[in-house]
Amino acid sequence: MKAKSKSIEKKYAEHRRDFLAGNNKKLDRRSFLKVSTAALGAAAASGVDFCQSFQSVSVARAAASSDVGARFRFAYISDSHLYDKKTNDRFARALLRAVEDINNLDPQPDFVFYGGDLAQLGRARELDLGAQILESVKAPLKMMVGEHDWYLDMGRKWRELFGEPTYSWDHKGIHMVTLNSVVERDFWTARGMTAEERMMTVAGLDNGVQSPFSVGEPQCEWLEKDLADYSDDTPIMVFSHSPLYKLYKKWNFWTDDAEEVQAILKRFKSVVVIHGHTHQVLTNRIGNIHFHGMLSTAWPWPYAPEGVPELTVEMNRPDPFNPNDGCGDGEVHVHADGLVDKVYNLWNRKPLIFAKAYTASWGGEGVPPRPNRESY
Amino acid sequence: MNSARDLCPRRPLVTIAVLLVGSVFAPARLTDLAVAADVPRGDHGAATMEYQLRQLDKLMPAADVGRAPPGFDQVIWEASIPPDNALTPERVALGRKLYFEKRLSADGTVSCATCHDVTRGFTDQLAVSEGIKDQHGRRNAPTTLNVVLLRTLFLDGRSPTLDHQARMPIVNPIEMGMADGAAAVRAIQDDREYQAAFQRAYGREVNYEDMGRAIAAFERTLIFVDSPFRRFLAGDRSAISSEAKKGWILFNEKARCVTCHPMNTSDPLGTDNRFHNIGVSARHADFDALAKQALRALQQDPSEQKLDELALSTDMSELGRFMVTKNRSDIGAFRTPLLLNIGITPPYMHDGSVKTLWDVMDHYNKGGEPNLFLDGGMEPLALTEDEIDQVVAFLFALTDERFAGQNSRQFQAQKEQARKERPLRDDEMAFRLKLAFEK
Amino acid sequence: MDNIFSVAHVRFILLGLSCAVMAVVFVGCSEETVLTTCDGSGKVTVASDAKGQDLADELMAQWKRDHPESDWVEQEKERHELKPGADNSALLEGGQADGHVYGQHDKRDLILWARETEKFVVEGSRIFHSGDLLQSTVAVSCDMCHPHASNTHPETYPKYQTQLGRVALLRDMINWCIENPVRGKHLKPDDPEMRALEAYIMAQRIGTPMTYGKH
Repeated sequence: MKAKSKSIEKKYAEHRRDFLAGNNKKLDRRSFLKVSTAALGAAAASGVDFCQSFQSVSVARAAASSDVGARFRFAYISDSHLYDKKTNDRFARALLRAVEDINNLDPQPDFVFYGGDLAQLGRARELDLGAQILESVKAPLKMMVGEHDWYLDMGRKWRELFGEPTYSWDHKGIHMVTLNSVVERDFWTARGMTAEERMMTVAGLDNGVQSPFSVGEPQCEWLEKDLADYSDDTPIMVFSHSPLYKLYKKWNFWTDDAEEVQAILKRFKSVVVIHGHTHQVLTNRIGNIHFHGMLSTAWPWPYAPEGVPELTVEMNRPDPFNPNDGCGDGEVHVHADGLVDKVYNLWNRKPLIFAKAYTASWGGEGVPPRPNRESY
Repeated sequence: MNSARDLCPRRPLVTIAVLLVGSVFAPARLTDLAVAADVPRGDHGAATMEYQLRQLDKLMPAADVGRAPPGFDQVIWEASIPPDNALTPERVALGRKLYFEKRLSADGTVSCATCHDVTRGFTDQLAVSEGIKDQHGRRNAPTTLNVVLLRTLFLDGRSPTLDHQARMPIVNPIEMGMADGAAAVRAIQDDREYQAAFQRAYGREVNYEDMGRAIAAFERTLIFVDSPFRRFLAGDRSAISSEAKKGWILFNEKARCVTCHPMNTSDPLGTDNRFHNIGVSARHADFDALAKQALRALQQDPSEQKLDELALSTDMSELGRFMVTKNRSDIGAFRTPLLLNIGITPPYMHDGSVKTLWDVMDHYNKGGEPNLFLDGGMEPLALTEDEIDQVVAFLFALTDERFAGQNSRQFQAQKEQARKERPLRDDEMAFRLKLAFEK
Repeated sequence: MDNIFSVAHVRFILLGLSCAVMAVVFVGCSEETVLTTCDGSGKVTVASDAKGQDLADELMAQWKRDHPESDWVEQEKERHELKPGADNSALLEGGQADGHVYGQHDKRDLILWARETEKFVVEGSRIFHSGDLLQSTVAVSCDMCHPHASNTHPETYPKYQTQLGRVALLRDMINWCIENPVRGKHLKPDDPEMRALEAYIMAQRIGTPMTYGKH
């Protein structure tokens, strides 16, 4: 990221860090008000049989058994769709709420993963705002690109801020790969579209003019090469903005070459795909690949009229009065075998947890509670 | 206020004559509670029990307790009465007696009517209530007016029914302070009248649970929904001022009140019966430390009595609904209060920390107080001063006409207070000139 | 923030405005000004002190006259799939139509009805997908939570709508959404925009049984 003079958020973050460090100090009212958005959640665990991260007490006790063997955890924030502050402050406030949530985790996660769609219309000032806000994340940050970030300037600003969209790294025995899975076949040149029009087209989820998402041949080749040195036993985690399977084409809940990518991943014992774009609780398993969606901080999508995987236990239909309902952030608890407990921290609701036993048993065990309010 | 003016007499002599006659024969509508200064006060600042009883008689002539009060939806009424406590005149009479019974307190100074005073909006118009030995709690006393429609009781909903709630303060150490239900029974079981009354009401000896039932039965008859707004909805276009009419529109639209404070013909109360964190606690509470404390305490003693104590006497009171459900999403959440008669039940919020309805509007206008658990429905509203005045005018039109005098006095007093200071006002936040993370 | 103009149109507007400015400069202070489109395809006359939007509108109108084949309906349908309406071809069968004044319909009637309905519903789709047309002050359009009008459930009305605290019809909830998440202008119940939005929402839900009161 670019070096900057201290942003408001940075100063604010430092202030909060001091507050968190001096936990037992009695703050005077004024300083407390200053950090009131950093008001500590019940998330600090230290010792007492209380919440680990986002789990309420009863859930924590239940999940404790599934937590046995969790090697490490990372947190995620995704799909913030920022406009610049003057146009719309709501999405920026929501992203800040997510950052507060994550910064309040105790102990801190190993890293924080950003799931894509930081900007809404790919504009430089939107990406800059997002980068500014994310600077206050305490843990190391890993970024992934979404279609809303890309299609105004084809990734120029993104690369400037966050580097290459495709990369891999190893963490505590897990091999992790981040893909740019929102590659679209060129639909704009033939129609003589401007960059702005291209972006507006891609920005509409139900806009039928755009092409389906794909990973694309070059990236598939890169993936194969990247994975070549790893044995079949190595746990693999793939981060992708699009689901890496085919759910509902009309909303681009879809990856056109999903089969090719899945074929490359087929030889491994366990593969977990963490994806964004869908703004909802979504679970799937195809062969050896376990798929988990990430929540958006900005708004929830409805469930697709067809194609929702059987393994998915839907979240309760959100209430539009509360713009945070159906939104949130979350965590992934990674076990030694690479399988995960997926935590959805839904704001103003009880968290939903999909323990590893759920996908491991094809939905036989560890079934989370069903929704009361179903999709229409 | 138009409603007050409409009821204000223009011919004093005739009025006195009418009142004298009216207080004997006429329906309660013509009667109003006496000027505040005339009210004889007793322990803890409450009006004396005798005076309160007399006022109650004036306010509520005898009615058929077997049916919904006139204008009240019969279906909803029936759904709100528990099957094991159908309303009978005997039960209501017993409950009434118990409501004013100071012997049910450890030092004989406190009855339900102390904090739910007939002359003070059926609450005590204090920030937090005062119990035996002048101890103060942490929570504002809700009004006992119209409680029949509430789905849970206490501001954190820890009581599932009115029958359960009514007997809890009797054994709370800082409210009425009896050691336990048995002690409460002992206090009155030798009284012949009570023995007979319990037999007539429930066919049983004096017992603690029936105390709760009887008081609840009595409270269910405290229906005071005849506000000017009601007449307006029924078609009387002149019933409320034009300011209040604009306020009603804002209430439904720009001010976003109606979603948590719905008012309709079946349920005119103005509460959704759900629990929301609107940030009042966040002004002065550290949720993290409190939540850990609360869990430790509840693990050691998970009884409902302990919860009752903790809720009132410690900082953990600020955690609200969380103390009951232990859900993270309920941290700092309190039940939406009802809006009927809101004009005469200040001060406001769960801790009584907000003095006037103008301050209430300021709190909402700026989007509440930011905190990690804030209900996402709280948003800056960008209401102008005029619009705030309109909503406040509307809120004052929700008071039953039997309290019209008090209502207009409250209006004047609150208006004066609001003119002096508006501590919660924050235009920068309200109009999104500065956003929460920029301050 | 959807853009209702096509590529060529946008270019045209920009060109037209700059041409208009130049034309004004050259013509000077006369009462009226003649504007020529830069591609020379048309001339319009406008008042010299006309506002930019008026200039653009005039030039647009001229361009439309010159390019009658451009089809907004098709363009919108390409962007946002529209579910086809009911099939009325059964009206053409049977024999009782003969001699029945009101029961006689022919193929062209069916085409006319379908076409008019389609245009109305497509107008609704345009508004539904455009923060600008909804006059949103926060650049939010309906499709951001309701792609293809999903989760709008028009078949469940009338019902007690919790957000409104009372029984609502579809248009009441449309207005609520416009006021709250979209922060746009409150629409009157018979505003053409409101009717178009209702039309689009109901059209997308074809085939769903009416289930009033469903929450």
